[in-house]
Amino acid sequence: MVQVIKKGLETSIQDYPGRIGTLNLGFPPSGPMDSWSFRLANVLVENEPGTAALECQFMGPTLKFNSDRVIAITGADMSPKINGSPVPLWESLEVKKDQVLEMAFATIGARSYIAFSGGINTTPWLGSRSTFHKAGVGGIDGKAIQDGQIIPLNKTKSVAGRKIKKSSIPVMSTNKKWSVEVVKGPNDDWVDEKGHKMFLNSDWKLQSKSDRTGYRLEGPKWSFTEKATNKGLEHGTFPSNIIDQGYPVGAINLAGQTPIILVNDGPSMGGFIVPYTVPSASFWKLGQAKPGDSFNFIEISVEKAQTLRAEQTTICSEASLVSSSKQDILIRKKQINKIDHIKVVDFDKEKLDEKIRNKMMEKKGMKNIKVRFFN
Amino acid sequence: MATEVKTTVPGNMWKVLVKEGDMVKKGDPLFIMEVMKTEVHHDSPVDGKVVKVNVINDQEGIDPGIVAVVIE
Repeated sequence: MVQVIKKGLETSIQDYPGRIGTLNLGFPPSGPMDSWSFRLANVLVENEPGTAALECQFMGPTLKFNSDRVIAITGADMSPKINGSPVPLWESLEVKKDQVLEMAFATIGARSYIAFSGGINTTPWLGSRSTFHKAGVGGIDGKAIQDGQIIPLNKTKSVAGRKIKKSSIPVMSTNKKWSVEVVKGPNDDWVDEKGHKMFLNSDWKLQSKSDRTGYRLEGPKWSFTEKATNKGLEHGTFPSNIIDQGYPVGAINLAGQTPIILVNDGPSMGGFIVPYTVPSASFWKLGQAKPGDSFNFIEISVEKAQTLRAEQTTICSEASLVSSSKQDILIRKKQINKIDHIKVVDFDKEKLDEKIRNKMMEKKGMKNIKVRFFN
Repeated sequence: MATEVKTTVPGNMWKVLVKEGDMVKKGDPLFIMEVMKTEVHHDSPVDGKVVKVNVINDQEGIDPGIVAVVIE
């Protein structure tokens, strides 16, 4: 268990991919905004990549550990310290009973993730532990974590010193500019050629009135096609009004002249047009951007967006770990002995029955297993 | 000795509650920032006199770690 000493600005329990399949009931997916950093934090502590962990926004919490635990911190740099000593990001860390993890404000990026070996064990709601505070569901009592609360954790073991390869870590902007991919549609035919050019060639400033529901952007004026200006009354009076429709997650929703990106906790439907949509693979950039930062948008195809998503899923796995010394030894052994299976399991006396062996092979995804017995 | 009170979040300055020359007590609110539609209070860490205020109401796009108020 972990006790919350200071809650930070808004620290919440999230899991990935969150509350899926409930948008028709009005519940957005929620989940971590930067699911890339989030999943790697879980990988570091040997959890499934989607296991419930903490998302810290802009200013991190102070937590006291009630038992020994292995944790990992990824995402934004909030200068984490354990009992006063600075600790690295993107690495599994051992925390002893009664030690205190303290985090400050984000220097690079905006959202930090803390994963605990075993994961957070709160009661899921509609299939997810993700906090959606606007409806008061998920997390603990449906809210961000509060001072004095106890965060329940599952029991399990992991080891310190597991690290993520540098090439697998998302590269955060340090110059306040972000290039964000977008896919055209669904209502791109309501904006004219001039409007599309303007959108793709402008810098859009992220306003402070942005949160996990929507990202408000500031920039030049939009122009529209006849579809938007000469339409039935049921669509409403402004060019950006449309008869109510479902919104995709990541919709760039045009409210009058203000584009608002509907993010993880965004609304499921409404009456504004959506000329572009940010694909899920680019959400991490939104999650790490600070108010005042600017976005420029790059149009990509749906196929490219899907490829990016698949690539990110591959990165968010054990494949991104810096190989440990034990693995190094095994790989070297493989090279010397020229054997085609390198995973060796040691057992003490005990004879390994076929059932257990098959189960282990299945779990580890091995095709072959070599068993060595010791006296 | 002068104490620097720094901003802890990025965002806008919603309200500056002190001016140069004011006497403040530890725990008194100095200014309120706005980020994610949340008011973030910054309170005085010490008793003393405000000698410098570097921020104004409605100032936009402030970074964290900026010295906002100096107290002596």
